[in-house]
Amino acid sequence: MRLKIFLSIILVLTLTGAALGQTGVKKKRPLPADFGRVVLNDHAAKAGLAPVVFDHWSHRSWFTCRVCHVDLTFGMKTGSTGVSAADNMKGFYCGACHNGKMSFQGRKVFESCAAKDPADGTKRCDRCHSLGKQVRRDYDFATYTARFPKERFGNGIDWEKAEDEGYIKPVDVLEGTSTPRKSLSIQKDFALGAKLAGMPDIIFSHKKHTVWNGCELCHPEIFAGVTKGTTKYSMVDIFEGRYCGACHTTVAFPLLDCQRCHTRPVQTGGGKGAQ
Amino acid sequence: MNIRLHISVLVTALTAALFLMESPLPSHDTVSARAVAYAQDSWQKEFDDICSKTQDAMLFNVEELRNLIARCDALKPRIEKLEASERKVATKKLSVCRDLYEFVREAKEKK
Repeated sequence: MRLKIFLSIILVLTLTGAALGQTGVKKKRPLPADFGRVVLNDHAAKAGLAPVVFDHWSHRSWFTCRVCHVDLTFGMKTGSTGVSAADNMKGFYCGACHNGKMSFQGRKVFESCAAKDPADGTKRCDRCHSLGKQVRRDYDFATYTARFPKERFGNGIDWEKAEDEGYIKPVDVLEGTSTPRKSLSIQKDFALGAKLAGMPDIIFSHKKHTVWNGCELCHPEIFAGVTKGTTKYSMVDIFEGRYCGACHTTVAFPLLDCQRCHTRPVQTGGGKGAQ
Repeated sequence: MNIRLHISVLVTALTAALFLMESPLPSHDTVSARAVAYAQDSWQKEFDDICSKTQDAMLFNVEELRNLIARCDALKPRIEKLEASERKVATKKLSVCRDLYEFVREAKEKK
């Protein structure tokens, strides 16, 4: 009996070891509400505060990427901006909207940083500096997105369709902050050849990307080549966060959703050189 | 002659009095606040004029792009004099705008 138990333990340990040895520890996929969540600790730790937890899903449903990443100059990499409470209090970064004065969708936007806590007794700092704390959010993901068109990965939302169907209307200009500009001319979508034979080519939605991002969010920081065919993209680079991966690994629909990009029907005798 | 002199002195005094009544002499604070506001307004206007055209970057020829880039470079020292937070934001905005023009210029020159 003892021998049987001993052998079973050995067997379980061996199998577990072999499984882990072959595949490593599987990275846990975030829950839909957590996808795109950014934890910012630019100055928080030094100030004795918890890091800021920023939910992309709510902000992306209200604003285009360009408003925050071009007009408010939030960097594309976590921690690259160096936002301080003083910046916010002067009306920059989060403070451009979270100033206690701005109203959005009939609701006053809470003030992000200030010397005193609000009169209602809530702890101001905790609203954003909330890592590891049970903080009640103004918007609940499941309730807010309940009627939005669904997708399989990321937030589980098809944001593009949500805009087309009128569930969201992302604002592209922030009064007093955005650089005045006329609307963009419609850019044509174009195809990019897949590297592997049998893999459908990519139809790149230039139209959608320019409307949400403008030109300067992607060029030249993310895409340094403007002439089609000059840059060779690989999935390895993209999975490492370069090119499309700058957004499509963290915030926009993830790379697991192959068919969202590789959409062009396969041509016989495929396997063209990638562009 | 004396009467004429008296009248001109009187007119000058009255004009000066009226001027002072309308706009009291500005204090040092008011002057510097106005100067800051003017400087800010002035760089902002120039910035908006340059960087509101980024969506048309591909439509400009190389010479026009060079001109926009030169204006970006000329604006930089003025931005560097701004207060810290504003400087940080404005510097980044200017660099994003300048980089796009530079990128398009290079692409057009390579063609």
